[in-house]
Amino acid sequence: MTYFAGIDIGSTAIKTVLINAGGEIVGIHVTDSGSLFHKNAKEALRVLLEKSGVDRAQLKYLIATGYGRKLFKEADDSISEITANAIGAHETGKAYGGVRTIINIGGQDSKAIQIDDSGNVSNFVMNDKCAAGTGRFLDVAARNLDLDLEDLGDIHFTGSGAPLSINSTCTVFAESEIIGLLANGHGKAEIVAGIHYSIAKRTVRLAKRVGIEDRVYMDGGPALNKGLVAAIQDELQRELVVPQYPQTTTAYGAAVLARSEFLAEQQEGH
Amino acid sequence: MSEIREVPLKPAFNQSRQAREAEVMLNHIVDDFIDNPAAMTYFYDLFRHAFIEGKALDRDGPGIGTTCIQVPEELIYAAGGTPVRLCNGAYHYDQVGADFMPAKSCSLVKATLGRLHSEKAVPDVGKLELIVNPTTCDQKKKAAQMMEGMGYQVYDLDLPSAKDNEAAREYWRRVVKQLAARLQKVTGKKLTRQRLREAMAKTSRAQAAFRTLHNFRRKAPSLILGKDVFLVTNAYFFDDIERWSAAVEALNAELAQREAEAFSAVQKKAPRIVFTGSPPIFPNIKLPLLIEEAGGVVVADETCSANRMLYDMTAVDEWLVSHMIESIADKYLKPCTCPIFTRNDDRIRRLLDLVATFNADGVVYQSFAGCQVYEMEQRSVAEALNKAGIPMLYIETDYSPDDMGQLSTRVEAFLESIKTRKRQARA
Repeated sequence: MTYFAGIDIGSTAIKTVLINAGGEIVGIHVTDSGSLFHKNAKEALRVLLEKSGVDRAQLKYLIATGYGRKLFKEADDSISEITANAIGAHETGKAYGGVRTIINIGGQDSKAIQIDDSGNVSNFVMNDKCAAGTGRFLDVAARNLDLDLEDLGDIHFTGSGAPLSINSTCTVFAESEIIGLLANGHGKAEIVAGIHYSIAKRTVRLAKRVGIEDRVYMDGGPALNKGLVAAIQDELQRELVVPQYPQTTTAYGAAVLARSEFLAEQQEGH
Repeated sequence: MSEIREVPLKPAFNQSRQAREAEVMLNHIVDDFIDNPAAMTYFYDLFRHAFIEGKALDRDGPGIGTTCIQVPEELIYAAGGTPVRLCNGAYHYDQVGADFMPAKSCSLVKATLGRLHSEKAVPDVGKLELIVNPTTCDQKKKAAQMMEGMGYQVYDLDLPSAKDNEAAREYWRRVVKQLAARLQKVTGKKLTRQRLREAMAKTSRAQAAFRTLHNFRRKAPSLILGKDVFLVTNAYFFDDIERWSAAVEALNAELAQREAEAFSAVQKKAPRIVFTGSPPIFPNIKLPLLIEEAGGVVVADETCSANRMLYDMTAVDEWLVSHMIESIADKYLKPCTCPIFTRNDDRIRRLLDLVATFNADGVVYQSFAGCQVYEMEQRSVAEALNKAGIPMLYIETDYSPDDMGQLSTRVEAFLESIKTRKRQARA
């Protein structure tokens, strides 16, 4: 058997996806990026192959993406995470009737990508060097509220009042705003909902700049947060397509590309 | 305003911050690429001498600083002075200049002020008898008084905010004549027909050399990378004009040779990019460099640090001093596509023309954070290019290197989408 893989070396997590000759996903492994990007990326790939019972020799083509892509010399090729994300969302989105707009919230940036019917990027925008409205923002907020990041999504729906407004989009200022709200005796659930709406507003502004077309797909780690997804849907006034594994869409896109590159090279060889 | 002093460096670090910054960038420009033209060595050495070793440059006559491309340099040469363009690209000076300007202002203006404030001028131009400061954007206008506060003589060159009416042109001609009078006072030399003719011949030679270089960039595949051309045009800021012209002519001869040998400086399918917006000025060549490190090639630009500076010739009707000065004035106002003008449709026309004639695949638009006029024109330029089916990448950035990672992702995604588009067009 031949296999293909994509590795997305992000600022917060390393995501790997293994697909078989037919293009089906046969393995997924996600781990923290940590400070030793390169060592952890190699280890992530090893674990992915081990979990899936695949030998390194059977892995015929590997494409790296994400911030650490260029330093990962073990890969056959690298591609920007915007292109990889588009390919991954296009493939995954087929099951939902096709997607045209992608909202991606990552660990340290957020993007909106518009794709055409074949999954090619036609336009994209990214936030400008600032962690506002990204996964890091949720991380900081969870720590301020003494909550687990994973629990934010459920807490969002437990509030009795309206979501509080968090006006600062800057992570640092929002932190002091949250502390201020806590000190004034506000409930955590209302604060959490407020944070989600603050990110949602910012994300929707970004998406509007790129142009919103149906269907809208959302991925990246924060898409696992149901409260945030609800807030974005509310701001967008549209349903979002959230895949089963939102964190690995980009790595999956790299794997899909690895497979088609391998097939194209083989054809050229014949 | 607080005094800024250079902290004495330990012997182990016997290099100033700006020298280190310049060295890092120059090493990238030179060492990250193979097959640099041999004639570029002149320019690499020039930048090494001026920015890293801090050697003084030879000059004839009093130094006249300029803060914009809109200063008629023929008048400075004719008055016996040497123009030195002061627009600065160093992040180090950007930080020094931050003491003078609000935090959200443009890196270029801050760096220019920071450099003038620091004692060690780079490249070392010696004493400036006068700084000619065209009244373009608000930030440059207000910078004039701050320069005076630092002890420089500053002349406000009153640029009209429109160029599409006769009254503005007439006014600008008067302004340029007044500048001529002031320059004569500073240098003590009279502007004669002979001296003006000689000055115009000097700049015409430089322009002709640059136009030849510019036209070589139409060739596909490319004969030269944009990062080198930016260095060439940046050298014009401070180099001796005759030496510069000779060095560009030598480069042109080498490019002709390359063409004859069917040499290619890039991969055949490298996306061809037109660069526009806020000007790349050494050492801030980060965005053009990112484009070319990602496998694209900058084939032309529409910026005031490069292309806009040498594009048009003077047209003289009568060789009388006043006519000559008027023709020089016209040369500067009419073709200028700076976004400070009330209406600037010329810029869009020029961009569309460059994309067509240089067979470009896309446009990269750089706005320095805080440069409001470029930020504002982004919308209309994007609309016009979109209508013409030309992809554009808009990047807001400044002189700090901390967004390099993010920018490289955007640039690569842009080039990848161009490649896919072209693949599909062929299929």
